[in-house]
Amino acid sequence: MFELTLQALYSGLLTGTYYALVALGLALVFGTMKIINLAHGELVLLAAYVAYTAESQWSLNPLAAIPFAMVVVSVVAIAVYLLIDRIKKDRELNSLILTFGIGIILTNFVLLVWSADIRSTTTPWFQQAVVFGDLLFSSRSEILFFLISVALVGATWWWLSQTWYGRATRAVSSDRKAAMLMGVNPRQTEILSFVVASILATVAGIAIFTGQVIEPSLGHALTVKAFIITVLAGMGSIPGVLLGAILIGVVEALTVTYFSSSLQELTGMVLFLVVLLLRPQGLFGFGVRRG
Amino acid sequence: MSAALDIKDIRAGYGAVNVLWDVSLSVEAGTTTAILGPNGAGKSTLLRAIMGLVTVSQGDIVVDSCARTGTSTWNMVNEGVVMVPEGRMVFRDMTVEDNLLMGAFPKRTRPRAQANLKTVYQRFPRLSERRRQLAGSLSGGEAQMLALGRGLMEEPRIFLVDEPSLGLAPVIVDEIFAGLRQLKEEGRTIVLVEQNTYKALSVADYVYLMQAGKIVMSQVAADVDVDHLHDLYFARKTGSEH
Ligand SMILES: Nc1ncnc2c1ncn2[C@@H]1O[C@H](COP(=O)(O)OP(=O)(O)OP(=O)(O)O)[C@@H](O)[C@H]1O
Ligand SMILES: [Mg+2]
Repeated sequence: MFELTLQALYSGLLTGTYYALVALGLALVFGTMKIINLAHGELVLLAAYVAYTAESQWSLNPLAAIPFAMVVVSVVAIAVYLLIDRIKKDRELNSLILTFGIGIILTNFVLLVWSADIRSTTTPWFQQAVVFGDLLFSSRSEILFFLISVALVGATWWWLSQTWYGRATRAVSSDRKAAMLMGVNPRQTEILSFVVASILATVAGIAIFTGQVIEPSLGHALTVKAFIITVLAGMGSIPGVLLGAILIGVVEALTVTYFSSSLQELTGMVLFLVVLLLRPQGLFGFGVRRG
Repeated sequence: MSAALDIKDIRAGYGAVNVLWDVSLSVEAGTTTAILGPNGAGKSTLLRAIMGLVTVSQGDIVVDSCARTGTSTWNMVNEGVVMVPEGRMVFRDMTVEDNLLMGAFPKRTRPRAQANLKTVYQRFPRLSERRRQLAGSLSGGEAQMLALGRGLMEEPRIFLVDEPSLGLAPVIVDEIFAGLRQLKEEGRTIVLVEQNTYKALSVADYVYLMQAGKIVMSQVAADVDVDHLHDLYFARKTGSEH
């Protein structure tokens, strides 16, 4: 019993870190543009399928496909940005409809090009087991992407807190007009937030492709998960996103261990509703104080 | 000698609602100009129009003999036109120091960011004590100092300051005005919007009075008769009763 719990916590931690990559991108874009990109999970999906093509068609290692996938995903993300940018009225609401639609189009594009079959990496290196003390089981891919994800979350935090454009991105999220008065062109930070979100999404996509299996419906599920994590975290707190993502990962793993894997998606939702009821500002968010 | 800032017959407003009606104003380099007027006169709208935050539908804005009408806010900042907005607008969820560093975002000021930071901390020692604190947790007076300090980090050539005394206790207002007087003595060009007539007159070289979107009086500060000014100031109230 104890061992099972420990294993669930461990697996949840490993899964949670790449969830954090997905959620962080969503939160960044929400910060600068105040819109929820409902096609965000599909960007992760796209990266995974680009890696699949690179591996199956060109015999490229999925890791080597990362730069190429980043370019593809960034280009699609910038196209999404340009479409959102054309919305002049009721941007909050209309962008939901627009990005939801884009998500459906992307999912069906994936279906068309790559079919509905379940895919995964064929490079055996990724799937080999890494066992700690005969107790904690994982694959090489999980360990590798756990490390990469933690490093990337740290790098994003560094970018946001220590660089001119990172700080400007936070400033636009905090007060758009005031940021303009500091000489910031908010459009630049909006595009930047989309590009950074694409980079994070790409790595998450490769993590899933090498560590688990991919299928076209995955994108939508990831969007929902990222949204839940972002709200749990209390919009816009990076440590909050990381902890929220790990929390979801762990709760899902415990559910699979003790109940059934079919309940996995449900538990995230239940946790989400409970937090919304008890702590609407999010687990790690501050109560908003104005004036 | 040509003016540092010249505003010629501008009209501006919000969407279909026009607020400024043919407003003209001229600011000489190195002087302090006060814009007075009751609530809703359009003082903040005038500053926003200069900064490109509201659309100017008619007229010209000239900075150092270059036409800048329709220039984006960030490019005005790059030209050295800096505004400390009404209500401070600090980045509440960022630290005091990060707020100040945002003031150094314009590329021309970045090389001197650390030196300027030091100067601001010397000017407002309380900001230095609170540098790691979130700006949202500051008192009103401290937030105003932060907004001024952040503006100074932008190395303003023309410094537009909107109601720095708003909602502050008299002692703090004195402190803020002492700061402004010091900036004036350093030879900066300042445009100050105020409702506190006496305070404004104590630092200003020139005074403009605005009412209902128009300039109704402009005078050298030393010549201003405060009683007459107040008669004009409240004229709209008595006038609108009929
Ligand atoms: N964002 C806005 N949208 C629409 N109308 C506005 C907006 N801001 C101000 N106004 C209107 O423009 C007019 C001038 O407002 P403005 O804020 O420029 O006045 P003000 O002289 O700065 O007043 P106060 O001393 O109260 O700050 C007012 O009638 C106001 O209702
Ligand atoms: Mg005002």
